[in-house]
Amino acid sequence: MSAATLLPLLLCVAWLLPLVSFVVICVGYSLPQLAGRQVSYAASRWGGHIAISAIAGSFVLSWFALLFVWLPTHGYTAGDLAHTAGGLAQHNNPAPIYYAGDWYTLANFDGLRLTIGYYIDTLTLVMFAMVSLVSLLVHIYATGYMHDELDDVTDHEVAMSNGEYLHRRGRYHRFFQYLSLFSFSMLGLVIAGNLAMVFVFWELVGICSYFLIGFYFERPTASTAANKAFIVNRIGDFGFLVGLMALWSSLGTFHFGDTQAVDESRPGIFSQLRTAANDYALVVPESMQTEALRGSEGDGPRAGYWLLCVAGVGIFCGCIGKSAQFPLHVWLPDAMEGPTPVSALVHSATMVAAGVYLVGRAYPILTPEVLLVIAVVGCITLALAATIAMTAVDIKRVLAYSTISQLGYMMLSLGLGGWAAGLFHLITHAFFKGLLFMCSGSVIHAVHTNDIRLMGGLRHKMPITAYTMLVGCLAIIGAGIPMLSIGLSGYYSKDAIIEHAWSFTNSNPQWRYQLLLIVPLVGAVLTAFYMFRLWFMVFTGAPRDHHRYDHAHESPRSMTTPLIVLAILGVAIGWNFPFTDLSVTSLLEQATPIGTQATATGLLIADLTIPDEHLSHVDAIRIPAGLSAVAAALLGVLLAAAVYLWRWFDAEELKQAFRPAYSLLWHKWWFDEIYDWTLVKPTLFVGHVVAAFDRHVIDRAVHLLAALGRGLAAVVDRVFDKSLVDGSVDAMATGFWNFGKSLHHLQTGRLRSYIVFIVVGTLATFAVVSVLWKYAIAG
Amino acid sequence: MSPLLFLTVLIFLPTAVALVLTLVPGKGNDDGIRYATLATTIAVLLMTLAMAFGWTDVAFETGESSMQHLTSVPWIPTFRIDYLLGTDGISFPLIVLTTAISALAMAASWSITKHVKAYCILFLLLETGMLGVFLALDFFLFYVFWEVMLLPMYFLIGVWGGPRKEYAAIKFFLYTLLGSVLMLVAILMLYFASDLRTLDPSQLIATGVVSASLTEGDGAAAAEAILSAAEPQHTFNMLAMQQMGQAGLFSKSLQMWAFVLLFIGFAIKVPSVPLHTWLPDAHVEAPTPISMILAGVLLKMGGYGIIRICYPICPEGGYELAMAVCTIGVVSMVYGAFAALAQTDFKRMVAYSSVSHMGYVVLGLGVWSANWQTDYVTGYWKFGMNGAMFQMIAHGISSAGMFFMVGVIYDRVHHRNLNEFGGLFRKMPVYSGMAFGIFFAGLGLPALCGFIGEAFVLFGTWKYSITLAVIAAAVVILTAAYILWALQRVYLGADYRGPHAEGIAPITAREFSIAAPLLALAILFGVLPSLLLDYMAPSVNQTVDTLAEWTEANKPRPDSPAKAENKQADGSLATPDAQAVSLVPIGNEVSP
Amino acid sequence: MLLLANLLTEPVGAAHYMVVGAVLFVCGVVCMATKRNTLGILMGVELVLNGANVNLIALGSPYLRTDSAHLGLDGQLMAMFVIVLAAAEAAVALAIVLNFYNNAGTVDVDRADQLKG
Repeated sequence: MSAATLLPLLLCVAWLLPLVSFVVICVGYSLPQLAGRQVSYAASRWGGHIAISAIAGSFVLSWFALLFVWLPTHGYTAGDLAHTAGGLAQHNNPAPIYYAGDWYTLANFDGLRLTIGYYIDTLTLVMFAMVSLVSLLVHIYATGYMHDELDDVTDHEVAMSNGEYLHRRGRYHRFFQYLSLFSFSMLGLVIAGNLAMVFVFWELVGICSYFLIGFYFERPTASTAANKAFIVNRIGDFGFLVGLMALWSSLGTFHFGDTQAVDESRPGIFSQLRTAANDYALVVPESMQTEALRGSEGDGPRAGYWLLCVAGVGIFCGCIGKSAQFPLHVWLPDAMEGPTPVSALVHSATMVAAGVYLVGRAYPILTPEVLLVIAVVGCITLALAATIAMTAVDIKRVLAYSTISQLGYMMLSLGLGGWAAGLFHLITHAFFKGLLFMCSGSVIHAVHTNDIRLMGGLRHKMPITAYTMLVGCLAIIGAGIPMLSIGLSGYYSKDAIIEHAWSFTNSNPQWRYQLLLIVPLVGAVLTAFYMFRLWFMVFTGAPRDHHRYDHAHESPRSMTTPLIVLAILGVAIGWNFPFTDLSVTSLLEQATPIGTQATATGLLIADLTIPDEHLSHVDAIRIPAGLSAVAAALLGVLLAAAVYLWRWFDAEELKQAFRPAYSLLWHKWWFDEIYDWTLVKPTLFVGHVVAAFDRHVIDRAVHLLAALGRGLAAVVDRVFDKSLVDGSVDAMATGFWNFGKSLHHLQTGRLRSYIVFIVVGTLATFAVVSVLWKYAIAG
Repeated sequence: MSPLLFLTVLIFLPTAVALVLTLVPGKGNDDGIRYATLATTIAVLLMTLAMAFGWTDVAFETGESSMQHLTSVPWIPTFRIDYLLGTDGISFPLIVLTTAISALAMAASWSITKHVKAYCILFLLLETGMLGVFLALDFFLFYVFWEVMLLPMYFLIGVWGGPRKEYAAIKFFLYTLLGSVLMLVAILMLYFASDLRTLDPSQLIATGVVSASLTEGDGAAAAEAILSAAEPQHTFNMLAMQQMGQAGLFSKSLQMWAFVLLFIGFAIKVPSVPLHTWLPDAHVEAPTPISMILAGVLLKMGGYGIIRICYPICPEGGYELAMAVCTIGVVSMVYGAFAALAQTDFKRMVAYSSVSHMGYVVLGLGVWSANWQTDYVTGYWKFGMNGAMFQMIAHGISSAGMFFMVGVIYDRVHHRNLNEFGGLFRKMPVYSGMAFGIFFAGLGLPALCGFIGEAFVLFGTWKYSITLAVIAAAVVILTAAYILWALQRVYLGADYRGPHAEGIAPITAREFSIAAPLLALAILFGVLPSLLLDYMAPSVNQTVDTLAEWTEANKPRPDSPAKAENKQADGSLATPDAQAVSLVPIGNEVSP
Repeated sequence: MLLLANLLTEPVGAAHYMVVGAVLFVCGVVCMATKRNTLGILMGVELVLNGANVNLIALGSPYLRTDSAHLGLDGQLMAMFVIVLAAAEAAVALAIVLNFYNNAGTVDVDRADQLKG
């Protein structure tokens, strides 16, 4: 079997296995309930086993596909342009090696095809490997973390109306059911061969996130957070839809790659926008110009370019929602209401990274202007979230803001042209942020609180958690030794981002673009500060709450094993495979999007240059950028240590000194309140206005019409019916009455007079008849 | 079995059973009557399934775009009114939907305990009316069935409804009657403008004016008799009217008027804002099974009428008013969604969601994107129309399901106040899980049926109007908001906050067996839309292609060289004399 | 007068019987119209009926009607019928009279005016 048939098959099975698990658990465990019986906890435990087997199968298949199908077929050096110093391409790069095809068609009208299909390149494979690995680890971790659900649960966060705490049955299998569905959806999103399919799975991961955030649905905060997550995501999806419609109407396809076997005439989006004839540069195709002009006279290329920008920004809107970028970042911190394994898997490693993945996947569509938008949004997000993280006291919220901030870095990198750097950071981040969340889960599991002000000194009680978390912290701040180029995974990826920002500002010396370098550097300081603030507060110093401290204990093996695995990966995932050039970067670069290895300039913003990614690898940029990044991280760590470890400054005093700033950050820049007043309340208000309009205007108009009708009927009744029709009938009746009345005197009641009448009548009749006979009839 | 017999039995079997039921004593036989009615609805369902899957010789051919099993018997020959039946990809899925929803709704009717016999009889008459509307191809017959369906509905709401049932029933009846009166006016206008002599013999046979069952010689003679008549030969035959409308027999002003009148009639049924206020009241008051029928089938008749009658017969009116139609659709979507957001009555919320979802149907049908600006491409319009048709079926499934889900809980706690629920997921896990599935289908979640229709419509709209497409896309936010908010208030949370908490019990087997097929269909059509599209797409595409050809012939690019000639042609078509001139040669060909 | 003169000059035929019948009839009618006593009225009725009977017999007799237009047995049957009817009528009428007498204590028909409008 060739790779062309084997890869789709392997990944398809890897993708569908969790779906099978979902269906089995969903249906299988509902049957007893339908029969009125509860699912036993022994059976419930099997739900976990089913889900783990499924995801383990996916994991094996994904890694097999990557290591034993892809690498033997295509190797990895081909794409490893990163370190060939002089390898600045004079020409743009053609499409990377990929396999694209369709599994089945949803609809096909006049060659406009909506399909379920695949697009497989190394980005897909690396994402598959990462998602299935993290997912597997989270599944294993969850068997420990969710152990409470294998027995009746008393939820101390929910008080019932009778004053007692909620007492309910555990829902262990349901958790794994949702996890399986999520794994399926996430893998589907990654393998998707066209944008419409991405949208389908985009929504599905959203709904999984909804279920998982709302896992403790008895808690009002959880269900509200779930709603918030889904609805905020839908705002982004609205933009996504607009982008989809724009592309669809102008290019007539959603396919990324060319599936020529089926559709000769209509190549994929990438090939349409970047043709070989144009040296793979972004040129607006004829069909897009026609679509933009719609019969009116005008500058076709410019109008088409505008449309393309709209499409790009639209798709990015979806990414803003999914990846919790400013201004739609508000849902992610609330999403921490979900169980911690969910936060680790869905809300840090995979789903929220889907936005970054999509930007990376759709990269050839994006114009320099759109890229700038992406960079600016990423830049704002990373700064905003980092500042909020400095004051947050909920351990998971700190990590949530940290996630938002890191996603901002990725977006920034992609926006500045650092495609590989951004996606590399996605992969490394998935591991170390997953690790950090799981560590936080381990801590929460031990002390039963999220508030870091109630922790302290825990490293004595739970050393594995403490030191794996330290590894995670070091990885996220990008710790490493710049001169030797040795460091933890985050060191490589974050360094690459800073390098690229440096390269971008070199290409764009205008002062306004300098912020795109300064902000990430400041962000790096903040990152180091809040991460180590967290670590110092939780694990060092004296215990603040002795009761909790005394009851704390290291987590079970099922939880610590994933921590150790992830810690190792968090350290090493950035390294080359021993004695080779094989690394995540070299793999990713094998999927470098078509036509993106050349410097691009804007059309609408003429002074904007998106530099070739390789420009950032020159020593003149690498060395100062690397040094400044590490210096920034070091500064942040020292600041945190000064306040929280060595206590040179008192945190409370600092708080007082910077009260207005602190208050702003404590209230998360008032975003929730602002949205509540500017969006939620007005929307509800409009809803009430519309409902009232219905009742008081439309219905009243209908009632008025009805009343008019009845009024008219009443008038008709009175004037016409009563007087004319009834009048004449009545008059006739009265006439007959009176006539009969006058005749009643004849009714004497005397038999004899009647006989006389009869006789007289008979005679008269005879007389008349005989006369008539003679003159009228016979005559 | 001949198609005539088969289709007639299909339509009138419920009536026949209803007649038999009138003879059965009503007292003490409630269950027997219910089972008899259910058996009838299931028998009718099986008949339509037999057509769908080819278990009978009167089978539905999936690849065929034209009218199938066209069959006619003269009914009132004086006015050339025929008992003309037939089905194609547009009506057939709706017929199956009708029979399926009827069977499920009847199964859901066990909660009706008042006057069971009368209820069942009216229910069966209603089914006859609904099937007749979808099968009738003679305008007069269509109108008769339309009214036949109206009356049982009036009584079903007015007798078995909630506290304000009389108000709701009257409102429903008057609204719909207004619509059908306008429709009648339009029908008569078209009737008196129609002239069969303008068609050629093959068209006469294809449209069923001359029965295809006649031998060749008889058929030719019958056609000859029509074509050589001295006076205009009026007709109520919809298919013939379509041919005439597209051939330009009806003047522009006639088409505009007829289109507007018909559209108002159908828009009331859909219902579109601002003619929608009967719907929330009718739904709130109607008993659960009737709500299922109302939302699942009756609303679809509006959309069916638009695609079957408005557009093909009055293309000129449709072309000129397309923007208005689409705007009405989008306004309904937005308006319904906002109104749903503000409701506190569960059923009312679902009713407004119907207004919003049916807006997609109107929008999808209206997007006349095959115009000179787009170089007459038809693909996007096909997405719009197929999306609209798909949305009708999807909404039939999901809204019937939603109303049933509301009914299940209403039967237990006897109220529908959204703010007085909560915690049902904990107490009724299977029911709540299914409710989530069905409500998510309504929300338009991918892999469930609602998504396909909505997405297709949106993908079709942009090509026609960017503004409308963007507004329509924004509705997904509101939809998510009102559905999720309602779900949260009803199913999530720890405590049930309302009265009759003791009544809450897990879902029964009967309720499960009604909800399960709906949920299964929602998933099936969401994952494999081709199952449905195979049936409907050929006919829908045929409609689009025909209209696109018409557009290309009659609405050329303004600056094209053909402009001057076409202007003339347009002008000449407007005068009746010229029509006769231009149309007579067609008749002459067959009568030398 | 001329008619009567003719009768007297001709041989006895149907016309003569009819004169007798007419006399009987008129007597009966006058009796009915003038008597207040119910029984008297009944007698009048009998006279009327028998007047009619005479006519029927006469017109049915082949001896009296020389032409072929006689009624034949039909006339006599009809007469039999009237006789039976008269008997039945008399029985019913007498029962009514008896009842009326029981109720009103009189047989004066002028007193029977309860139904008067």
